[in-house]
Amino acid sequence: MTLKASENYFDIDDILASNERIPCRVELPIYRLGYLDSSHESEHLLPGTKIEFPYWLGRAVCSKKRHIVGVDLPKQYREGYREILSADATVVDLHKLGPYYYSFGTKLLHFEHVASADIAKSLVKTFQNRFRKIMDSSQNAYNEDTSKLTENLDEAERSLFHSGQLGLHDFQRWETRKTDKLTTSNMVRNHRKRKRNVLNDGQ
Amino acid sequence: MNMSLFLSVENLVFIMATTKRVVVKVIWNMKKRVLVLVAFDVDAMCACKVLQSLFQCDQILYTIVPVVGKEDLERAYLENSEGVKHVIMINCGANFDIVETLQPLENVKFYICDSHRPVDIHNVYNAVQVKLLMKETELSVPEYDLLFRDEESEDESGNDSDSSDRPVPKKKRFDDEAIERRRERRLWEENRNKVLFDYNQFSSFGSSAALLLFELAWKMSKDSNDLLWLAIIGVTDQLLHYKTPREKYIEDVMALQSHVSRHNHRDDVDIISINCLKIMYDDEMNLSLYRHWSLFDSICHSINMACKFKVWTLKGQKRLHEFLAEMGLPLTQCKQKYSSMDSSLKGNIKNIIKEQMPKYGLEDEDVIVPSFFAQYGFRNKLCAMDITLACASILESFENGNTGTDSFLLALDVLDRSNVNAKEKGIEMARKQLQAIIKQVQIFLDMHQVISAGPFLYAFIQEGTPDVKFFAHPQCLMRLARFTLEAHCSVSRNKRSKTLPLVLGAPLDREQGTLLVIGIPPLSLDEERKNFFGKAFEQAASSTNARTLHDKFDTFIMEMKTDDRSKFFDALISLLQ
Amino acid sequence: MLAEKALDLIRELERSVGGSLPPYNEDRVRQVLEEMRVLCEQNQKDVSATVAGESGLFSGVQVRHAALERNKRCLLAYLYNRIEQIKKMRWEFGSVLPTEVKYNLCEQEVQWFGRYNKLLANYMRSIGGCGGLDLTQDMKPPKTLYVEVRCLVDHGEFETQDGNVIVLKKNSQHFLLRSECEHLIRQGILEHIVH
Repeated sequence: MTLKASENYFDIDDILASNERIPCRVELPIYRLGYLDSSHESEHLLPGTKIEFPYWLGRAVCSKKRHIVGVDLPKQYREGYREILSADATVVDLHKLGPYYYSFGTKLLHFEHVASADIAKSLVKTFQNRFRKIMDSSQNAYNEDTSKLTENLDEAERSLFHSGQLGLHDFQRWETRKTDKLTTSNMVRNHRKRKRNVLNDGQ
Repeated sequence: MNMSLFLSVENLVFIMATTKRVVVKVIWNMKKRVLVLVAFDVDAMCACKVLQSLFQCDQILYTIVPVVGKEDLERAYLENSEGVKHVIMINCGANFDIVETLQPLENVKFYICDSHRPVDIHNVYNAVQVKLLMKETELSVPEYDLLFRDEESEDESGNDSDSSDRPVPKKKRFDDEAIERRRERRLWEENRNKVLFDYNQFSSFGSSAALLLFELAWKMSKDSNDLLWLAIIGVTDQLLHYKTPREKYIEDVMALQSHVSRHNHRDDVDIISINCLKIMYDDEMNLSLYRHWSLFDSICHSINMACKFKVWTLKGQKRLHEFLAEMGLPLTQCKQKYSSMDSSLKGNIKNIIKEQMPKYGLEDEDVIVPSFFAQYGFRNKLCAMDITLACASILESFENGNTGTDSFLLALDVLDRSNVNAKEKGIEMARKQLQAIIKQVQIFLDMHQVISAGPFLYAFIQEGTPDVKFFAHPQCLMRLARFTLEAHCSVSRNKRSKTLPLVLGAPLDREQGTLLVIGIPPLSLDEERKNFFGKAFEQAASSTNARTLHDKFDTFIMEMKTDDRSKFFDALISLLQ
Repeated sequence: MLAEKALDLIRELERSVGGSLPPYNEDRVRQVLEEMRVLCEQNQKDVSATVAGESGLFSGVQVRHAALERNKRCLLAYLYNRIEQIKKMRWEFGSVLPTEVKYNLCEQEVQWFGRYNKLLANYMRSIGGCGGLDLTQDMKPPKTLYVEVRCLVDHGEFETQDGNVIVLKKNSQHFLLRSECEHLIRQGILEHIVH
């Protein structure tokens, strides 16, 4: 398996993102692996069969060197969706389309599909358009429920949002001179909380 | 004030108030940890915070333990006394013999900063282990010679009494002398008892502990606006819980005002950061929490105004409406939140009320109290009285399984000026308390439950009354008692009511069948605020063997078994007749 | 689909937020290893068949190989991320883990924790002069020598460096040497009060 410098072999998010499905069309027979396609009962995967592979598998069997399957674009990266995104990216629920919309999209570029260039452009554009709103909301939502704000964000955007929140909170704490305060470490606090919940449930 | 201060070479600070025999001093020992025992009242908490800041300046280690009553104090002392050489007691410990009670090691020293009076004579005259942190002028203790006799004569008198058992023939010619001595001794003892009785008869309160410690901080040049604010709250607490007479309060306010102007006299106010604390002196309307309520509600829940108008009657409500109308304050404005009232009205209310009040028989004292305000950040001004009420109500709120010490810490948070949440919660709780109080007063009056027993009035809160939990705490019960007494006097046809004290009982613990009982002095003696119920309760209890518990630092509050109520009260009546 | 079970392990880690560590899922790990063994056997069979002259088996081998690699990545990531978490625990809980936490570790992880502990202790002893240097202390730059604290639980007696014994009882307040009570604050026994 080849990894780009930006990808971390142990990264949980990356592992999850690389599990997103891609529609494939079998081009060479794959013997004795028919069970991968639950809609057919044949023993082998025969040419012409349409099947969805996770990205990591698709990547292994579809490259310039080996072309065991042909790869199609998942629908959320096709032109229809790209148009919706270019119309107004800020209202789209990327979490529903993703939740690893950007990172999966970037991975798709490896297949050098005809639309690759357009996808790349669309991804950058989408991010640009949504970024301002994310940054704005993460810097201004202080002491309120943020679940509404983050519900239609892609995972990468969420982590961006949370970094913003962290920064905001740190700044507020600094401004109100709370940074000197020694606190219970997070793990201990969460551990206590869980223990208390368990005790309460037991009663 | 006769306090002078020396800074000695060994880093010891003595505060000395010299009388003939009493040398009051605090040793600021830099090396040893100090144990601080704090009573459950707002003044004590403020004092404790002042003390904490002084300790922190000098990096003196301390442990602070809040104590509810005498038993708690003994337990806290036992638990924390290991290795402690200095114990400071705030608003507790003065009115009973501390050495006798705690049986401390000889090298332990107690510093008592307590506003309870009278101070137990043993505490006064034990100059070795007990030091009093009090203004000397407030201690009118009988002369030492009237209370204690020298060892020598003790020995002799010991021999005298022994002589009957051991009939060793003494030199006859001393006989007359001996008889004379015995007679003299008897006279002395009679006199001693009389002096002691006079001394201990009334309980009262001296200067606020917070104020005293603030003045100490000032002498040490470590005072600040924040500490000053705490002293103000401490003094206000004494006013709101009827500890000191109004005159004394005014006196303290004057003293505080000079500190306020010393700390807040910048010409260029705009230059100081908005987050700095600014304190202002001003006449304040004596209306509870009106800044955080509606004017109308506030009037109905403030003792003076409510009793003047008798707002619990239909007629009273009408008169109040009339009063407001005459002042040109539309009812809709008065009944909405004060903060959203028309600002043109808001600024003028105090003056309008002042103009109209003679017509309605209100006096200046009923409506106006000199007080202080704090301002910081972009928030509203905070009135010392509101904060005091908020703090006191949190101190006595026992919600969702909080123990007493939890409430103590939560109440401390109210005093922390950056903690806005705690403050708002406190004000909310104070409102609930006031509502419960007025509801209870109305029940008393409607059901004619305030009854004259001859020498005093009494009333009991029925078990099962809503909000009864509010009154199971001393400070709130105190305010209820006062409200009840004033309200009763305002409606009573009997002229004598004003000269009668009130005893009020509230159910404390249903399962154990206990009552919390408080006695407050009559309104006619309001100039003095002396309370004789402490001694009276003790005597009545001991003469009837009623199961009572005199655990509180305020002697005029006690716990008793509900079953023993009638025999106890019979004894109390005959005692006071 | 292939490597689904391995992915479950990863999902387990993803769900455990806030520094909690889910119990080591030994069953699932064994199942993944079993799947890998089967895949490997089939590949060996196909490879020997190809060597023997059969053709067209290559694509199957490719698919299984990818699945093997995928399983390996998931397993290693599972172990690695757990270890990272355990390492963090040393700094947050201190050198002794609460039993409930320890219960979720597998035996090798417990051993690893012990060795990490020892390494860290040795390292801390070796630096900062003869007395060593406690790196877990002063995680934030200290501003004062002493701090005001409130006691959150009944902790019992606590002996200070100068030999005094202080009773840490719930809701008592103390003014203590910062270095002495920092650990107690981090362990949630004391609360640091700043104004």
